[in-house]
Amino acid sequence: MDSSEQAALREAVRDFCRKHAGPGAWDRLTGELGLTGLAVPECYGGAGAGLAEVAVAVEETGRVLLPAPYLSTALAGAVLSEGGAVPGDGGVAEFLPGIASGALRAAFVLGGSVTASGGLLTGVAHHVLDGAEAGLFVVRAGDMLFAVRASDTVVTPAGTLDQTRSQAAVEFRGAPAFAAGCAAERAEDLLRVMLAVESAGAAAHCLDVTVGYLKTRVQFGRPIGAFQALRHRCADLAVEVASARATAYAAVRAAASPAGTASSAELAVLGPLAKRHCVDVFWHAAAEMIQLHGGIGFTWEHEAHRYLKRAKTSQLLHGTPAELRRLVSQRAGLC
Amino acid sequence: MNDDQFRLEVRGWLTTQLASAEFACLVGKGGTGRAHEFVAERMAWERRLGADGWIGLGWPEADGGRGLPWHRQVIFYEEYARANAPGRVGHIGEQLVAPTLLMFGTPEQKARFLPGIAAGTELWCQGYSEPGAGSDLAGLRTRASVRDGEWHIDGQKLWTSLAHVADWCFLLARTSPDAERHRGLSCLLVPVRQPGIEIRPITQITGTAEFNEVFFDDARTAAGNVAGEPGDGWRVALGMLGVERGVSNLGQLIGFQREFESVLAAARGNGSIGDPDIAARITDAWMGLQVMRFTTEDTLGAGDPAPVAGGAVAGGVAANITKLLWTTWHQRLGELAVDVAGPDATLAGPDYGLTDTQRLFLFARAETIFGGSNEIQRNIVAERGLGLPRG
Repeated sequence: MDSSEQAALREAVRDFCRKHAGPGAWDRLTGELGLTGLAVPECYGGAGAGLAEVAVAVEETGRVLLPAPYLSTALAGAVLSEGGAVPGDGGVAEFLPGIASGALRAAFVLGGSVTASGGLLTGVAHHVLDGAEAGLFVVRAGDMLFAVRASDTVVTPAGTLDQTRSQAAVEFRGAPAFAAGCAAERAEDLLRVMLAVESAGAAAHCLDVTVGYLKTRVQFGRPIGAFQALRHRCADLAVEVASARATAYAAVRAAASPAGTASSAELAVLGPLAKRHCVDVFWHAAAEMIQLHGGIGFTWEHEAHRYLKRAKTSQLLHGTPAELRRLVSQRAGLC
Repeated sequence: MNDDQFRLEVRGWLTTQLASAEFACLVGKGGTGRAHEFVAERMAWERRLGADGWIGLGWPEADGGRGLPWHRQVIFYEEYARANAPGRVGHIGEQLVAPTLLMFGTPEQKARFLPGIAAGTELWCQGYSEPGAGSDLAGLRTRASVRDGEWHIDGQKLWTSLAHVADWCFLLARTSPDAERHRGLSCLLVPVRQPGIEIRPITQITGTAEFNEVFFDDARTAAGNVAGEPGDGWRVALGMLGVERGVSNLGQLIGFQREFESVLAAARGNGSIGDPDIAARITDAWMGLQVMRFTTEDTLGAGDPAPVAGGAVAGGVAANITKLLWTTWHQRLGELAVDVAGPDATLAGPDYGLTDTQRLFLFARAETIFGGSNEIQRNIVAERGLGLPRG
């Protein structure tokens, strides 16, 4: 599925996450690997690759729930590069070098009551993922998408159920806004695709860890993975995880297709479809991870709870399962 | 010829044939749950397929095939499904027996059996399951031994599709009476029409009969009619199960799409789509179909089952994953179809005549059982895909 470059990227990111998924990760992730600039053109200091490469890095950082605003920042780099940003034109392009270098962290504000008037944004949005540490917001106002400096807004960080990803409430009081070339709806669908990919990676990790535990945990004189009641649950998860990954990358292919192609038009359906399917699979894998680990899975010390909390957070934001089902139904012309 | 030209050639041939006086009656017939329909016409259809070179697309040319790559075969199956062409009666020979003979057969066996399969003139059935050996296939008790240059066979097989039209049976039998379980089995090639074989149809849940019981009472076949070495039958049979699901899966999805569309049309037609529960289930079915398509393409891609889940699942279980997905999806679609139909789905016509919807609903119960029940599929995924210990 991966091209050879993508396979090498995957290996590099996976290796990085194995070794450095702690404090200081951000500097190395951006400095050594340049991951936030994957989809930023080379003239802004990026790698000049695209959404398919961002997806690979999102899957791998999602696998370990890397506590850094990688998804938001890298996707902002891709979104703000769309629509022919030109160096020196004073528009959103001026943020791209910061994103590519990692100096500027970004977050998406796609919900809430934000309106635009005369190049200024007004309104409030809650539940802005990765919002607490963002220096830049990519904001939806109506059908339009804007970039706004965090220093021009009032950011109130929130305590979060999932402590590996921040949230904030963001208030805009006539904040100066730079119009982006990407439509707001496309940006939201792209965010859903990336959440789908991240969830597919995280779900695969939940299954890996659970299977590893079932091979070593002995009860009744044998590894509990020999008991059919547990094996079958793992097999069902394996089917789901395989289907999540296939679906997530089908959506990535649509996301990465050139504008105007039939494949690109599929994003409107595949964005919500992939997010719904992959996050639901992730939720199931995380819940099973706890149950199949037994008591240890319920402890703060074990990693399982972080996956359960991430899954539920991803499920409740940017379209609940029921909302996404309605959206798919509408956009596919079903009901 | 490029792929598009090949596709047009397939499409053109199917269109012409299915508009002909002889075969127009076969459009949409003989598929899942309706294998009893138009059997004589479908046997003629098989011979036409063979005469025009559409059987054995993937076999080597030296063995009478066309040596086409995997994706060309996919194109054929996609077009076949799109044309709503009839359910095959020759698929056991083409898709199970021939690949097995190509892998394990002697030159003499290939020369004897492949031409009949390729021509659509000799049909096959498969004798694996027995009353006491379903999921536990290795427990089978049908026995065979060589006397006077012939195998003599005694026992009983069950759930044998197409036995009543088949010329030959690919039979798994115990040939070393003292050997345990999967040792001492052999795959025999047995002519079906002989005094020692009796076939009785099994009337199933739909009131029709697609499967049979086959009784062997001193049935005979020549001593040379064994695929692989005598005693090596388990390995040969497993090789055969490996090819049982594969290239035709992608074509199958087109048939599923058609079935989904008819359920959607029915829900629009009778207004049940206004019921939020029905609307939600319709959308879930559609999304499930897309997910299944992506997963099938991903896992069966290029005929080379790659690792499917980023390290979580090893390769080689793609067909098992696919089977778990499609059987479950199809069963739910059947349930949705009768719920959409509503109270009318509780009625049956004269002689227990059922609608397509009712047949789908009922026959889908078989799909999670046949070809290795879904519980067996889960065992295989757990052991071979995830490396979990055997129970």
